[in-house]
Order: sequence, then C-alpha cells, then structure tokens
Amino acid sequence: MGLQNISIADGVRLHCLPTGKFKTNFMSVSFTAPLEAGVNAMNSLIPNILLRGSEKYPDMAAINKRLDYLYAAGISTRCSKRGDVQVFGLCADMLDSSYAIGGEDLVAEMTDMLGELLLHPIKVGEGFDPDYTESEKNNQIDAINASINNKVYYAYRRCIEEMCRGERFGLTETGTVDETSACTPESLFSQYKYALRHYPIEIFFVGQCDADALADRLRSIFSFEREPIALPATEVIRSAAEPKTITEDMPVNQGKLVIGMRSGLTLADPEYPALMLCNAIYGGAVTSKLFMNVREKMSLCYYCQSSPDAAKGLLMIQSGIEVSNREVAEKAILDQLEAVRRGDFTDEEMNGALLFLINSYNELADSARGLENWYLGRMIFNIPGEPDEMVEKLRAVTREDIIAAAKLPTLDTVYFLNGTLCGEDEEDENA
Amino acid sequence: MPDITIKRNDFLREEYYRFRHGSGLEVCVFPKKLSTSYAIFATRYGSIDNRFRLAGDKDFTTVPDGIAHYLEHKLFENPNGDDTFTRYARYGANANAYTSNTMTAYLFSCTSNFDESLGILLDFVTTPYFTPETVEKERGIIAQEIRMYDDHPFRSMYQTLLENLYEKHPVRINVAGTVESISHITSDILYECYRVFYNLSNMVLIVCGDVTVDEVNAVCDKYLKKQAPVEIIRDYPDEKPEVFRAYAEKSMQVSKPLFAIGVKDTDIPSDGYGRMKKYAAYGILNDLMFGKSGEFYNKLYEEGLLSNQFDYGYESSASYAFNGVYGESRDPKEVFERFKARAEWAKSEISAEDFERSKRALYASMVKCFDSTEDIANSFLNYEIEGGDLLDYVDILSKVTQDDVTALAKAAFRPEFYTLAVVNPIV
Repeated sequence: MGLQNISIADGVRLHCLPTGKFKTNFMSVSFTAPLEAGVNAMNSLIPNILLRGSEKYPDMAAINKRLDYLYAAGISTRCSKRGDVQVFGLCADMLDSSYAIGGEDLVAEMTDMLGELLLHPIKVGEGFDPDYTESEKNNQIDAINASINNKVYYAYRRCIEEMCRGERFGLTETGTVDETSACTPESLFSQYKYALRHYPIEIFFVGQCDADALADRLRSIFSFEREPIALPATEVIRSAAEPKTITEDMPVNQGKLVIGMRSGLTLADPEYPALMLCNAIYGGAVTSKLFMNVREKMSLCYYCQSSPDAAKGLLMIQSGIEVSNREVAEKAILDQLEAVRRGDFTDEEMNGALLFLINSYNELADSARGLENWYLGRMIFNIPGEPDEMVEKLRAVTREDIIAAAKLPTLDTVYFLNGTLCGEDEEDENA
Repeated sequence: MPDITIKRNDFLREEYYRFRHGSGLEVCVFPKKLSTSYAIFATRYGSIDNRFRLAGDKDFTTVPDGIAHYLEHKLFENPNGDDTFTRYARYGANANAYTSNTMTAYLFSCTSNFDESLGILLDFVTTPYFTPETVEKERGIIAQEIRMYDDHPFRSMYQTLLENLYEKHPVRINVAGTVESISHITSDILYECYRVFYNLSNMVLIVCGDVTVDEVNAVCDKYLKKQAPVEIIRDYPDEKPEVFRAYAEKSMQVSKPLFAIGVKDTDIPSDGYGRMKKYAAYGILNDLMFGKSGEFYNKLYEEGLLSNQFDYGYESSASYAFNGVYGESRDPKEVFERFKARAEWAKSEISAEDFERSKRALYASMVKCFDSTEDIANSFLNYEIEGGDLLDYVDILSKVTQDDVTALAKAAFRPEFYTLAVVNPIV
C-alpha cells in the first residue's frame, strides 16, 4: 500500500490511498492558502456558503435529501491552520458501493456532488446569494464569539495569540468578528474565484476505488484555467525572547494554565522524532512526567499535558488547576522539563514512550480520517513519508538525542485564565 | 472450553462470538481484521446505583454521590505500588476508563501484545487496592475534574435538563458527584461498593479486533477465579410521569444562549428487546422531526434561530428515559414553541416518502458504525448493558413501520412531559 499521488490539473493533486479495510470511504477537497488577516475570514466562510446550496441543489434541504438518498453519505466543511497555511474546503464520506442496494457507484456520485457544490454555487449579480451570505456571516461571528464557551480551548488559543502576536500564526483560521462583518456577497465571490484559480488544491481519497477512473472524473471537474501561487514557508522562531506573562480574569471555577514554548523544531527537521519522544516522556502520554508528578503525586490537577506543534515549532503545555495553586503548578511543570533535560528518566520511561508512539502510528492505519489528516499535514509542506518510516526514525532515537531535544524549548509565554468564582460551589439557578 | 454461540448479520457482514467463562463472566468476541484491537471490561454500576443491597442483605446501603466514578479512579492503583498506566505502557497499550449513569468501563486499545494487555485489564479491575491515604490523595484530582465540568456550559446545561426532568431519580445527580459529596467518600465505602458491583456476574468483557475466542478464553482462565453469582437489588425511587420543573435557566460565561429541550418518558419497556424497538422508532421519529433534511431544522437555520451546533437523541435505560434536543439560539423560548408545533405535526403529518427516506438513511448509516474496533466495542457495550444486542438493532430498525412512529409521537408528545433548560450569557 502507500499513497498514490496523481496530478489532476496545475496545482491540483489527487492523493489516493487504496484500502479495502473500511465500509466507509473518505474524500476531501482542500484549498491551501497563505494565512492572512481578513482573507482568512473569507476563506473560512466560503465552504459554509457553498454548502448552503448550488444550482442543482438550491438549499440545505435539497443537499441533505440527496445525501440521505446516497445511503446516508455526509458532506462537511473544513477550515484549519497548519503553520502559516490556512486549509479550507469540503470533506465527504460515503458507504462502499457494495452496500448500495440500488447498485449506485457512490464514489462517482459523491465526486460529482462535491464538484457541483464547489463549482456551481448560486450566484446573484456578481456575488453569492445575499441571504446565504448574511446567515453564514452571522454563524461565523457566533462561532468566533463561542470560542469562550470551551475554556480549555479558549485558554490554549489565547496563549498562541499572545505568543505569536505579529506572526502569521498568531491569526486564527476564522479571522475576527470585524473581518467577518466586512465580507460582502461580492467580495466573497471574488475571493472564491481567486481561490479556484490560484490556491494549490489537495484532494484525498481513502478507501476502495479505481484511482484512474477517479482521476479522470476529477480532471473533468477541475478543467478550468489555473495559475497556482506558491505557499509561504512557515516562520519558525528557534528561540524565544524575554518570557511574557499574561493573566486574564473570568468568572469560572477553575484556573487554566497554558505555557507556550518555542521548540524551534518542525516536521522537516531531522531532530523532530527526538522531540516527539521527549514530549511523550515529558507530558504527551499518561505515563509521562507531567501526569505522574503534577497530577498523581501532587494532586494538583485532572489534566496536565504537553503537545508539540509540528508545523510552527512550538511546545505547548496545558493544565486546569485551583487558582491558588498557580505558582506551585507552574514551577512543577517547568521542573519536570528540567528533569528530562538532566536525563532524569529511566529506560522504562523511554521504552514506554517509544511504544506509545509506535502504537499511535499503527492505530492510524485504522482510521480513514486519521490517515488523511496525517498525510495532508505532510503534503502541504511537501514532506514525503509514510507512517512506517516515522516508526523507524523513532526507533533510531537515542537517550542523548532526547536530552538534546529537551534542551531546545525556550519559554515564551505563560498564559493564565484566572477563575474568579473559586470557592463557590453552586451557581445561580432560578426555576 | 465453554459453549460458544455465534451471531451473524448478513446485511452488515459482521459476526461475533459469545460465551460464559468458567469464572461466571459473560464474554463477547467480535473478530475484525484491523490493526487495532480493543477490549472493554465493564460493570453494571453507574452513578444512579446509589442505594442498593445484595439479596440476603437485610438493609439497603445508601452511598455518597460520585462514588462509582471515584472507585473507577482508585482501581488504577495496584498492591505492589505499580501504576496501571505504567503496566500497560510496557506493552504499548493505550488505556482509559469512564463512568456513566449506568456503568463503569475499563478499556484499552493496542496494536501488539494483546494477550499481555488483556491480562493487565482483567488483573487490575479484579484486584482492588487502596488505603485511606491513597483515597485522600485522589480527592484533589477529582475535585479539579468536577470544577472543569462545572465550567463546561454544555455539560452544565445537560445537568440542569436532568434536574428539570427528574424529581427523585438519581440520574439527576452529577456522575462525578460534587466537591462536597466526594468529601464523604472513604476507603471502607469504596470497598463495600466494590464487593457488591464488581462481582463477575454483574460484569461483561467485550473484545473487538484481530483476536480469537480461544486466545481470550485462555487469558480469562489465567486471571479470573470462579465467583458465586450475586443478585443486586437496586432501589430507584418512583418518578411521576410529568417533569419535575418545566423550566430552569442559569447564567454562565457563554457567547449565546444554549438550550436543551427534554421530553420525559416513563413508559419504558421492561425488556431489552422492547427498549431497542422503542429506541429504533424514536431514532426515525427524531430524524423526521429534527433531521438536516427536514423542514424544522432548515427553516429555523434560515431564520437564524439555530446554527449547525444542533443535536438530538433519545436516551433510554431500564429505569429512566427521555428525548433531548440541544443547540444554541438567540431565542431558546421561540425554539421551544417551534418544537411544540413540530411535535403536533409529527402526530399526523409524516409522509410515507419522508418516512422511507429517513428509515433508509438510518439503516445505511448503521454500516458506518462498523469501521473501528473502538466504535464497535463501545456501541456493543451500550446495547449489552441494556439487555439488547447491536447486531439485532439493524433488523429491528428495518421492521419499524410508519404507524409505529405516529403512535409513538401521539403517546410521547404531551406538554406535561416537556421541559426547557437554558444557559444564558452573563450580562
């Protein structure tokens, strides 16, 4: 097995992973764009407007009835950032055609459906449908405002925002409320035309299909003129300047501590596998030093974990704690990293970390979405590779490599969401 | 080797094996040629089991809220001081556990050394070991878990919904308890709950992956001793059919109001099969009423009353059941009014065409549940705990008629069964 890469048009690539393991096939069409202020808000809105209706399926009810008919197929929008690149588009899942009692070719039907939604939106004058535009703008504004609902994610996002202020990566994948408000049906349609013409497009298919037939079908869809742009290289800051501390008050019970560090290592660096092991020992696995010490020994928290950002070169640590334990927890978290730097970890810890990572690579093979996501993260940056090769690289990492990798992260930003409700057990409730 | 029964479903092209191990444990093995194998060892013991006795015991025991969950945390400790996660880590397995209203489940997934990891699972769950000191140490960790959930608006709203629906039934209490209730938990009470609910006759082992029955049976032989079965008598208070409160709201740090509409159901079939039939009929009814192809969702979405943060589902167990509709809206009370109108619609206006489309889509979507060993094992467990069978469910679904769905709508949708819970932004 392995990924087949097939050129569909200029800057449009099909990545096909043939496998007969799944009853459900997965397909995605992703536009990749430089993450830019203002444009990010538009790119994020476009797939949501496309999923409101097309010439053939004029509203959501028509789209969803068609999907029901195609044996509960699904189409959803995607929008995320990978380093300095914004990724947006549509994802689809469909049953394998052998389950179609009517004998339909579901891959062909869903490819055509994606093509219809992507290329034939409802156009009014020189813009998208104004009602659809307005309601999706409102939804995006609501979604941006709703980032406050999930405090764990909110604190993480705020730390990145403070840490990477002035860098592309400090922008979000959806833009701001003001940037969203400023979008018009015409400005969005013009950006949509630009995206079709200029952004590199990555198409993935995971499952059972005839790759050549799929490629031909896609070629007939992506047959318009293309002039792809080059994507920016992600700006990686190898070491942090003076550390910043940010405290934000909020009427919640639990304090959220997020520590942002610059590891300076990305997927393209040969030392990256050593950082992955370092992270697993430090705070990535449930047997990690953060879990075993900050949670189990010190009883400071329920969750305390670290995770590297492979595209931007960050190491992020998150925990939810009693507000009064802020200093103790921060010190304990940093002390554990010092322990890894001193080589204060056993062979058992090292081996456990290696097995943990190998297991997660092996498990990847069982998830169509997981595989797509993994390969997409590499394809955007043109880093070839297979999960098996990563496993081999991990196996070759030595104790010294891990210690060297542990010494790289430098403290950039400590963000604390200061809960001001602490001590109050009951919230107001009126029947 | 014990007697083995094989069950197969031709539409899904899936089969599984079931046997009762010599120890008394019910075991189900679901072969699946994937890289990941997955095992869950579960007990029919959840947050609602807070008043109980064994047949033969004279008095009922009443325990503090949150104890099943506390016990789940504490079982990860071992007599020799080894941490369970560290034991699993030696074999590369990925382990976890969860507690719900009706069960506590311990699980792992792995891509190699399955037998060793299964051995660890069976061993640590059947070997309770904790002291007053280690029980004390856990209190801070669980308190932080509770605080985290307290700050979670959706969970908090869901809790309010349950408190609205039920006056007495313990489903209205938080699975993890409160910071106050867990302060009363001692190692003695934990051992007592363990003795009652962790008897193998009250438990089940589900395995899904590239694994054989012989292999699983051999590991069971090695780690499980024969236990005399117990009969557990749970005491759930009687609930009136009407909701406890028709409305409640609270204020939290959210951007827009969140809402949960509940429909209480006390007309619960006494057997697992009957509950699955009702669940299937409710699945179609909900899809017809609130599905993304239907008028309700599309009209409210277009009016800006709903967003794609919208969900619904019928939850049912032997002692409680309700239907829930969840979302965010600038005007939850208006959504509630529209819900009531839609409920009236469902009593007489479902078309045959929509019914068939909905049924076909739900039927096909069942196939999608069989692509991951984790999904299979967990859904299998959910049916098993309730006395049903995942592989029967597709057939049950295929037999639901339009009359069943209309009759259900007529019986279920009465204003005295409705409640609304809202989380408003802090102003």
